[in-house]
Amino acid sequence: MLEIRWHSRAGQGAVTGAKGLADVISTTGKHVQAFAFYGSAKRGAAMTAYNRVDEKPILNHEKYMEPDYVFVIDPALVYTSDVTINGKEDTKYIITTHLTTEELVAAQPKLEGKEVYTVDCITIANETIGRAIPNTPMLGAFMKISGMYDIEFFKESMQRVLKKLPQKIVDGNMLAIQRAYDEVK
Amino acid sequence: MENNGWNEFEIGAMLRTFDGAIEDIAGTRQEDRNYTQNSSFTASVADWRLEKPVFNKDYCIDCQFCWVYCPDISIISRDKKVIGVDMDHCKGCGICVEVCPTNPKSLLMFSEQTDEESAIAGWPTKEDKEK
Amino acid sequence: MAFDKLELNETEVWDGNHAAAQALRQAQVDVVSAYPITPSTAIVEGYAKFKSDNLVEGEFVMVESEHAAMSGCIGAAAAGGRVATATASQGLALMAETLYQASGMRLPIVLNIVNRALAAPLNVNCDHSDMYMVRDSGWIQFDAFNPQEAYDLNLIAFKVAEDHDVRLPVVVNQDGFLTSHTAQGIHPLSDDDAYNFVGEYKPMNDMLDFENPVTHGVQTEEDWHFEHKARQHSDTMNIVPGKIDEVFAEFEKLSGRKYSQLECYNMDDADVAVVCMGTSVETAREVALEMREKGIKAGVVGIRVLRPFPFANIAEVLKDIKAVAALDRSAPGGAAGALFNEIAGALFNTDSKMLLSGYIYGLGGRDLTKKHLVDLYTELQANADAGKLLTQQQQFIGVRGPKLAFL
Repeated sequence: MLEIRWHSRAGQGAVTGAKGLADVISTTGKHVQAFAFYGSAKRGAAMTAYNRVDEKPILNHEKYMEPDYVFVIDPALVYTSDVTINGKEDTKYIITTHLTTEELVAAQPKLEGKEVYTVDCITIANETIGRAIPNTPMLGAFMKISGMYDIEFFKESMQRVLKKLPQKIVDGNMLAIQRAYDEVK
Repeated sequence: MENNGWNEFEIGAMLRTFDGAIEDIAGTRQEDRNYTQNSSFTASVADWRLEKPVFNKDYCIDCQFCWVYCPDISIISRDKKVIGVDMDHCKGCGICVEVCPTNPKSLLMFSEQTDEESAIAGWPTKEDKEK
Repeated sequence: MAFDKLELNETEVWDGNHAAAQALRQAQVDVVSAYPITPSTAIVEGYAKFKSDNLVEGEFVMVESEHAAMSGCIGAAAAGGRVATATASQGLALMAETLYQASGMRLPIVLNIVNRALAAPLNVNCDHSDMYMVRDSGWIQFDAFNPQEAYDLNLIAFKVAEDHDVRLPVVVNQDGFLTSHTAQGIHPLSDDDAYNFVGEYKPMNDMLDFENPVTHGVQTEEDWHFEHKARQHSDTMNIVPGKIDEVFAEFEKLSGRKYSQLECYNMDDADVAVVCMGTSVETAREVALEMREKGIKAGVVGIRVLRPFPFANIAEVLKDIKAVAALDRSAPGGAAGALFNEIAGALFNTDSKMLLSGYIYGLGGRDLTKKHLVDLYTELQANADAGKLLTQQQQFIGVRGPKLAFL
């Protein structure tokens, strides 16, 4: 079982990102689950979304998760929320920031000794999609770190998931995915 | 029907108005319609009356006010001409008399015992309007 | 046909709400009369979008309250249409009065309840207090444990409800957020297969049949009311269970997915068992399997059909189990939990020596973790080993503060 927790703000597309990822993975024959905690979901409020992936049907519906990956797609949440909660020894963190990994860990000692990767999803999204929607770039970074799928296969799959959006936005997302894939460290 | 057991009713307390299918119900007179026992047409309320309306065709102008206002659809009208009152369904409320615009009125209330002939014979004459 | 069909993939990643909306589209529902409420909104919103995209031919009636929503459904169903809606929690509470009208009038409406806690305190997350509130309203009630089942049970619901020997409305419950907003892989039927399974709507006593005028919504006082309620209960008890089994069997033939009034998991040789509803059933199955590796013969019974309650079936399934936990996801309001009472009632006049304990859990969306269930099975095994209850009959799972136990 592969488990992922997203830290996001309501409106940044974590739920869409989690469902999109689930959709892509599902086409390869694996079983998937994507869900979120909404609370009194106000745009901008901190929230979490989740993915589970397994070879066999997923029966577990508990919200409790010890994630294999933590995605932080808003740069402030690494400071204001506990992104390491229920983490494991080998949990991998992919965090949106303009800082380098070293600078971020120095600023947030809770990340010390953990496997931390950084990528500036907000800037990438702004420059490619034209809006600060950092969900798809995070998935590009995830492809690089996890090696889950070939990036070309993943982009092709995401084109299908996003097909209802205007072509310009889809193109921007493809650029964003590729840039985050290339830039994550 | 009143003594039917639970298994003898149609489901959902649904009631049928007619026995069997109907055609051209608007063109069929009430007395010719195949009403079921569920329809109030088959129930008489004549004994509810304390007074009854009597119709005097000599003064009627066929304005149909009584037909329109009767809450029990008890004014019998044919080709827009009133021909009488359905005494099985009239409850004696007197609304037909109240709305009748003729002078003298073409419908008046009488006691149940009064026979129609003597009611017509003693019908009031035209009232002069006060000036 | 005047509308377009959708080509669906063999596997679609849908959440429970979207799955239910797709089922309403495929069943070609004629009228949806609805007032949106979290977490059920996406079901009726989905139908409205399908309608505006010309993927279904029907009417979407926007109303001013849930009371009016179900009233609209009742009118449309009495007129002779295939009708559905969705609600939750406070919306269901406001709709409650009309639910009794719908079942008493024997109208085959399908209502999706996306289970959510009842205020106060205000809460949008899952528990079963709304489901329990209307459990005696005369509706047939199904419970889905995941999004696939929310889809399947909607199609099944129309076929059961509209059967002329049944003619009762059906509730399809699914857990708010845990199912409704959780996307999972779903295997939908093709549009044609789904519609052919549900079948063309066969009107009965419909008000739009002008050749056979009928009166719906009559008044009966002490002279006839009891007989009508008796007829309804008799049909629910004697006819509905068999029809449900028939439709489940037909659905299995079509889809390969098997449904039962009670969903039993590893019960044949179980010593201890949990009885529950909603997503908890699946989490419990996963834990039950893990308990077997620890030497505890654990089983799970999921209640698929809450009404008519499978009284005899549950007595049969549980009679030889040593210790059973009834899990109720609803504040019991000064009594034992509803499932505890149903099970106790089913086993009372039998020779069973089963030990029954009740647990209240998950109120307002409180997580039921695998750890909770491991502890629960361990406690049940201790009861079984001791041959008596070592705890009080009612406990709370996952609540903060000093331990609570009653009865």
